Amino acid sequence: MSGVDFDAIQASIEQEIVQILSVAQMDEFRLKYLGRKGILADLTGSIPTLPKEARGGFGQKVNALKTKLLFVIAEKEKTLTFDTGAPRKLPVDIGLPGIAHELGRKHPLTQVIEEITSIFVRMGFSVVDGPEIETEFNNFTGLNIPLEHPSRDAFDTFYLGTDAQEKLLLRSQTSPVQIRVMKKYKPPLAVIAPGRVYRPDAVDASHSFMFQQIEGVVVDKGITFSDLKGTLETFAKAVYGDDIKMRLRPHYFPFTEPSAEVDISCYICHGKGCSVCGRKGWLEILGAGMIHPNVFKNVGYGANEYTGFAFGMGVERIAMLKYGIDDIRLFYENDLRFLRQF
Amino acid sequence: MKVTYNWLQDFVDITLTPEALADKLTMSGLEVKGIESVGGDFVFEIEITSNRPDWLSVLGLAREVAAITGKKLKLPALPKEKPVKGKARVSISIEDARDCPLYTAKILTDIVVGPSPEWMRRRLEMVGCRSINNVVDVTNYVMFVLGEPLHAFDFDALHTDSIVIRRAAEGESMTTIDGQVKSLSSDILVIADTKKPVAIAGVMGGKDTEVIGSTKNVLLEAAVFNQVLIRHGRQKLGMQTESSYRFERGVDIERAVMASEYAVSLIRELASGKLAGSVSEGKKTAALPAVNVCVPWVQQMLGVTVSASRMKSILAPLGFMVTAKTKDILRVVPPSFRQDVKAPVDILEDIARIYGYDKTPVTLPSIKPRLLSNSLREWTTCVRETMVGLGGQEVLTYSLIDRELFNAAGFSGEAFVAVANPLSKEQEIMRPTLIPSLLQCVARNLNQQQEYVNLFEIASVYIPVAGGVPHERLMLGIALSGSRSLLLPHGLVREEIGLLHIKGIFQALAARLGISAVSFVASRKSDEISLLLGEEVVGSARMVAQKSLDAFDIKNKSVCVAEINCAMLIGKATAAKRFVQLPKFPSVSRDVNFVVKEEISAGDVIEAVKNQAPAILRNVRITDYYKGKQIADGYKALTVSCVYRADDRTLTEAEVNPAHELVCDAVKKTLGATLR
Repeated sequence: MSGVDFDAIQASIEQEIVQILSVAQMDEFRLKYLGRKGILADLTGSIPTLPKEARGGFGQKVNALKTKLLFVIAEKEKTLTFDTGAPRKLPVDIGLPGIAHELGRKHPLTQVIEEITSIFVRMGFSVVDGPEIETEFNNFTGLNIPLEHPSRDAFDTFYLGTDAQEKLLLRSQTSPVQIRVMKKYKPPLAVIAPGRVYRPDAVDASHSFMFQQIEGVVVDKGITFSDLKGTLETFAKAVYGDDIKMRLRPHYFPFTEPSAEVDISCYICHGKGCSVCGRKGWLEILGAGMIHPNVFKNVGYGANEYTGFAFGMGVERIAMLKYGIDDIRLFYENDLRFLRQF
Repeated sequence: MKVTYNWLQDFVDITLTPEALADKLTMSGLEVKGIESVGGDFVFEIEITSNRPDWLSVLGLAREVAAITGKKLKLPALPKEKPVKGKARVSISIEDARDCPLYTAKILTDIVVGPSPEWMRRRLEMVGCRSINNVVDVTNYVMFVLGEPLHAFDFDALHTDSIVIRRAAEGESMTTIDGQVKSLSSDILVIADTKKPVAIAGVMGGKDTEVIGSTKNVLLEAAVFNQVLIRHGRQKLGMQTESSYRFERGVDIERAVMASEYAVSLIRELASGKLAGSVSEGKKTAALPAVNVCVPWVQQMLGVTVSASRMKSILAPLGFMVTAKTKDILRVVPPSFRQDVKAPVDILEDIARIYGYDKTPVTLPSIKPRLLSNSLREWTTCVRETMVGLGGQEVLTYSLIDRELFNAAGFSGEAFVAVANPLSKEQEIMRPTLIPSLLQCVARNLNQQQEYVNLFEIASVYIPVAGGVPHERLMLGIALSGSRSLLLPHGLVREEIGLLHIKGIFQALAARLGISAVSFVASRKSDEISLLLGEEVVGSARMVAQKSLDAFDIKNKSVCVAEINCAMLIGKATAAKRFVQLPKFPSVSRDVNFVVKEEISAGDVIEAVKNQAPAILRNVRITDYYKGKQIADGYKALTVSCVYRADDRTLTEAEVNPAHELVCDAVKKTLGATLR
């Protein structure tokens, strides 16, 4: 045993000690070197087998190694956390409730409006606002909706009892903002207008006499139907995920032509058909179209000078689909147990 | 509109399954809401947009099916019957051609009224129409096939040989077939005999002239009425019929003539009888003006290179007459049933629809950045986020409220905008304040055993303006109630919510908006605290009176509300910031305990200190407040902490002591305070 390489043992101790990260590893290390059947015990045990003259020097080296081991172990242990099994006394019972004031929250509809507007802002849109009290011109006539026409049936409207010269109403859609913006600015225009709208609907799980809409308008020279598709697809993917599909179904709105209702593939069943999409595989999320030339005429834009598109969506519907909410009234009841979920 | 698969097959060969057909229809603008399998046939429920009255007929739908499936439309061969020799026994008088462009009447004699054959009854029932008798059923059947509403009168029940189409006279009334007595007026168009109205034109016939089992002779009406007039009249009478639905959307004059002839042949077939007379008044054709469509324009708008010949092949099956005017211009003449087509964009839509919206490319517009500033919205977001940061839960409540709710919240007067046509009393007025709605939210949540409620809403209130458009004023409403409790290691700390919380919120808001001149004034007349920015009152706060709490059914809790003119607050906001050097020399803090009379406000003490402030006094604040056994009754103790500092040197005792003395003396002198 006189051929023991003490330098090699020392080197491996140094190498191993730095790799120790836990108490368990430490115990293993200690056992390997200092245990009853450990390396040091082996070395000590081998002393009687050595020639007498070699025993003294060998014993010294073993002792030096032991001292070194005890030192590095002590040093290393300072850096490790020990689980002694018995609870350590903390300065506080950490099981007690944490101390913080309760977080405030934005209303879920505000959150959805902010999410939607921010998507469009990133695409280069500006956010504008318009009044809730409107004229018949801005809410109907200007938008190519004749006052006495069945197309108005979709827009039942609250009128106001004021002594103003003009007949006033509560806007039944955010589209009047189109008229206001186009009257005020010349293209190029890319705006988004969120806000409250009103329709005399009896309140039930899917109807509300007041709800939130978001209107979008893009007008410039050379804006096309495919630009509308691209913009809406970018939006839909940003809200519902990249793997959804979008489709445009021809529809009729007086203020756009061609018009479309826009569906996305149901993100629950991925188009297979489920209870959320009514077994159709598609969910309607908004209405859109190319702005009707009559609307441009009504705001004083030159004939054939510009083209553009407009779209409008109900915020509650988007939020209900997004969160799986089944009753529109929940948004306006403001029960904290509901609001705190968002 | 309901239609059946087999009925459509009368006019077009369909090789698609009902589901595949439904899908194709949906994607061409006729949204199929449902398919129902009924006794070997399939009933389609289709949503027809208001611009396409021609689709309110089996023939119209069949034309669309033919166009989208590339099949030929099988037009029915309609026999034209000549009236038997003899004088027509009726004359027609139209009071105003604008109200009624066409009226035709056919007299059928020796009719045998009875049940309809099974096939007709089934078809009518499948599309939701109750079978009455063979004559009435024929009028309905033809309406479904061609989209032209017809009406059959019991000819012998008419009090004349003359039919007048006129406005009703004020005070006239009539009993309609459904047994309702309708009072009429001059804005309602009627069909009348010489004595009285016998039908509300385009809406419903009269009871007295209804075709019943004993009817022998029939007058069959096919007409076209003014859309607006019919709509207005049926709205006024609170009626809506299959007939009025079609008339107000627009009925094709040419089809009216066709429908009349078709009905005569069917009545003769099913109820025998003879055609004894045929009269008509008004125009029988309706040529629509041609529309010129620029081919490159269509291609550019849709982003696809549809050729002119492809456009032609799309438009022809829809009934358009298309000729090439030049290489790039198509002259398109709409069929008489397409009164909705007036401009090139209408043609563009039909081309896009049939070509397929899904086949056009997807691109993004090149949006030119144009930053329309909207600082009100941006600052509103800042206010909202500050409120949320302070622990507020945002609520959204209805802008229309119940007048009783307004009064219950402690408001009175008539200074609000009223809704002229509310559906219920919950929508009577446009709220001039956010408080009633907030109280409603507080009550609801306290009712749910919530211990602590901290709500806010940012929304407009509506202020009437004499002779003008009401003003929409953006407000911030706050409602606090209950107590916020914190379990600290040494025990539970309960914090009752009160007016000082509102003060704290308002101060934090102002600070966030870069506004420094904030103050609070307690009114001597009411419980209200005014919130001021500089000299201007921008809001108010109050503890809600017991009477209101009772009205909202809030028990054992106090509620604190505030309303701030958000627009005004934002008007004072500033984002401008200017860096101030951090102090280079240390400050010295001195606390002093004053005992003052209870009615003296802490604010007065601060004010007294500030009035005497030596230049080195940099900050004063109240750090403790005590009222109790150790202080004489009627007095309170306030600890005031003063911070002294100079910008250019470290202060010495010798400088601070006399300055602090001065401050203490000022409070003692002006407020009669004593040191504790």
